[in-house]
Amino acid sequence: MKRKAITSILLVAVLATSLFAGGAKETALTTKNIRIAEQVPGLITPGVWDGQAFSMNSSIYEYLVEINTSTGELDPVLATEWSTADGKQWTFKLRENVLFHDGSTFDSQDVKFTIERTQDPSIGHLKKQDFEIVASIETPDSHTVLINLKEARPTFIYQLTDYNMCILSSDYDYGSLGESKPMGTGPFIMKQMIPKESAALVKNTSYWQAGLPKVDALSIYFVSDIDASVSMLEDDRVDVVPFVTPVIQTRLSKIDGISVISPYQEQRFVAMNVDEKPWDDNRVRLAFKYAMDPQNIAKSVTQMELGNGAEYNETPIMNMLSEYKPLPLRERDIEKSKALLAEAGYPDGVTVELFYASDHPFGKELAQTLKELASPAGFNLDLKGYTRDVYLSQYWLNVPLSITGWGGRIDPSMLLALAFKGGGAWNESHLADERVDALIDKISSEIDPDKRTGYYHELQELFYEEGPLLNVQVPYLVAISDRIIDYRQPLTMLPQYKYTDIK
Amino acid sequence: MNRTLSIILRRTVSLLITLSVMSLIIFLLVEIMPGDVAQMILGQSATEEAVSALREARGLNDPVMERYFRWVGGVLTGDLGESIYMKGVTINSILWRRVGHSLVLALSAFILFVPLSIILGVLAGVKENKPTDSIISFLGLATMALPEFVSGVFLITIFGVQLNWFPIVSIIPIGESLFNNLEILFLPALSITFVMFGYVSRMQRSSMIQVMNSDYIRAAILKGMNRKYVIFRHALKNALLPTITIIGMNMGWLFGGLVVVETLFGFPGMGSLLMTAIKTRDVPLIEACVLLITVIFSLSTMITDVLYSYLNPRVRFQGGQR
Repeated sequence: MKRKAITSILLVAVLATSLFAGGAKETALTTKNIRIAEQVPGLITPGVWDGQAFSMNSSIYEYLVEINTSTGELDPVLATEWSTADGKQWTFKLRENVLFHDGSTFDSQDVKFTIERTQDPSIGHLKKQDFEIVASIETPDSHTVLINLKEARPTFIYQLTDYNMCILSSDYDYGSLGESKPMGTGPFIMKQMIPKESAALVKNTSYWQAGLPKVDALSIYFVSDIDASVSMLEDDRVDVVPFVTPVIQTRLSKIDGISVISPYQEQRFVAMNVDEKPWDDNRVRLAFKYAMDPQNIAKSVTQMELGNGAEYNETPIMNMLSEYKPLPLRERDIEKSKALLAEAGYPDGVTVELFYASDHPFGKELAQTLKELASPAGFNLDLKGYTRDVYLSQYWLNVPLSITGWGGRIDPSMLLALAFKGGGAWNESHLADERVDALIDKISSEIDPDKRTGYYHELQELFYEEGPLLNVQVPYLVAISDRIIDYRQPLTMLPQYKYTDIK
Repeated sequence: MNRTLSIILRRTVSLLITLSVMSLIIFLLVEIMPGDVAQMILGQSATEEAVSALREARGLNDPVMERYFRWVGGVLTGDLGESIYMKGVTINSILWRRVGHSLVLALSAFILFVPLSIILGVLAGVKENKPTDSIISFLGLATMALPEFVSGVFLITIFGVQLNWFPIVSIIPIGESLFNNLEILFLPALSITFVMFGYVSRMQRSSMIQVMNSDYIRAAILKGMNRKYVIFRHALKNALLPTITIIGMNMGWLFGGLVVVETLFGFPGMGSLLMTAIKTRDVPLIEACVLLITVIFSLSTMITDVLYSYLNPRVRFQGGQR
């Protein structure tokens, strides 16, 4: 009797689990399929898209322009031409015969809607601040848009390459459907999404660019653990794993058929708060800089050689950008560092708290390296590592010394006003220097590119001598199967899967 | 039988009280987690205005108790709410698929470790202080001491990388269901078996030794009864009682505590979902997962108690231990 009861319970359990676990029977996907393991997305609705799920969103949505990964120049996408005479009024000619995935036609109203949406207070748009400069938008015909700015901004076009500025349909309810049914004009259409687990995208057969995309489908797995993602690549379950670490790169280098590439670099700003002691004294800032060893930092933090995957400078401009001025690397000089510190009134050294996000790639490695390098000069760095959300919400912007991750910008002026101008929203070093502010204003409004470059150089010289910043540039690494052909991902962080093929 | 019924009733009332208290504790614990949910969601580039708009839209500015009662009300009507990230996507639509997967994994592990642990435990108990006992006891201790993430890596290396018998990750390919990919269950189930084997086999061994040394077993052997008959018909029945308790008590863990194993193997179950929810501060999803684990844990404990009282005549008829 007991045995029968136990057997029945087990049978019922097995049947129940098969009912649960079977779920909806899904259809098999087509043959030419790129499989990707990426982080579990947070918010994916454009405007509040938090920067995860790049493979998915960049394949569904499109922009007016995109970065050409070979030349670094802007290529037309939904805009075919753009021009400005004074940097204040911008004219965009739009591509015709482009359809959204729901069958509606793309036109100038959609561009107007997308830009005006940045100012909608109910959305909490992440680009609100950057687009406050827009005075008005005119749509003289269905495929022409005139954008009038409040002041000249010769590099305004680059704002439209930001990942949250993809072009949306003015007829679609993104407020309700943006998270569950993303819809744009991109080369792939969302076929099925299992929240927190996977997304199946299929080729957009009505895509405006003939011959693209090259593959039939993208299968995207959302995996919270990077090691599990890498195991999937090793087991040939996926073809692409973005955002791997140098340690994983070393591990994968021993495996045939897998490569690790670095499409671009990111920045880690070590910011000294000039509002607080001891950083209010430039001699202390210089002492800290003289205690550093760029080669050692590159090797310890990224396991790469300086200039070969990792970079270092003392300015806000990345080494890879055309605006960068190659200033000499400061030689490590502990005696000079000690002397400067003593001169500034700290003969016995100084203790400073260093705040950073311990779960952000390269964060704790950089913090530890800085502590060790600065110690012989008399800097006692008290490391304060917190999870990224705690660091950003409770400490960032209000601490004496910090390490923060900053994405690269194609146009560095987008970052300067935010991070280094007096009163800037993310001015973590609390810099309020009239010379810096004036140069940033000139950079933002100067139409002549040569003159603009000159201002950039002046600004970098100023930072080199007096600036409150170390800029450590770390690689963004992507592990790919050797079957993948032509993987492209520019500094905008948006992978361009329409060009990618698979053997 | 009346006594068993009364035990069921008492345990049910106790279960309801436990769940009510636990729901409040879960809610408050999640509430005091450090960090700001809205900031976490929007990331570094979020302006204060954007963070504030998101807090308002997700009801995060409402008083704590108001949110608690809103949540409990929803749970009682079967509405677990929406994931904080996915507007328009209910937690029910995310959770139950994962629960199903975890249930299958737990059952697979159960099928592996229960017979294995009992058989080897009995063998060790019967062969007390002999080489067989030493070997089984050593294996039990060794597997018990190995955390899942260590044994999991060993298993991946041996069965996945060296022998290439099983997949090293347990993902379900897009477009397929778990039942088309049952081979993905083997390594995670074996990893769980490693952990459980030590506990269960050791309990079975000591219980078997105790029973084998009891008077009625000695009398049966002295009477000249077949030793195998005595072991399997008389001793095992009684020696199984403590083992059933241990297995029952661990069913809750087996189901809800698979976070490490599921994350290591990339298995899309409830443990890895909980991990994702915690990493992204998805408060409603954390609450739903933890509450469900609490329910399962409490239920499995209750069922174990009831089963124990049913199987143990001392409890059933004389009121024995409660």
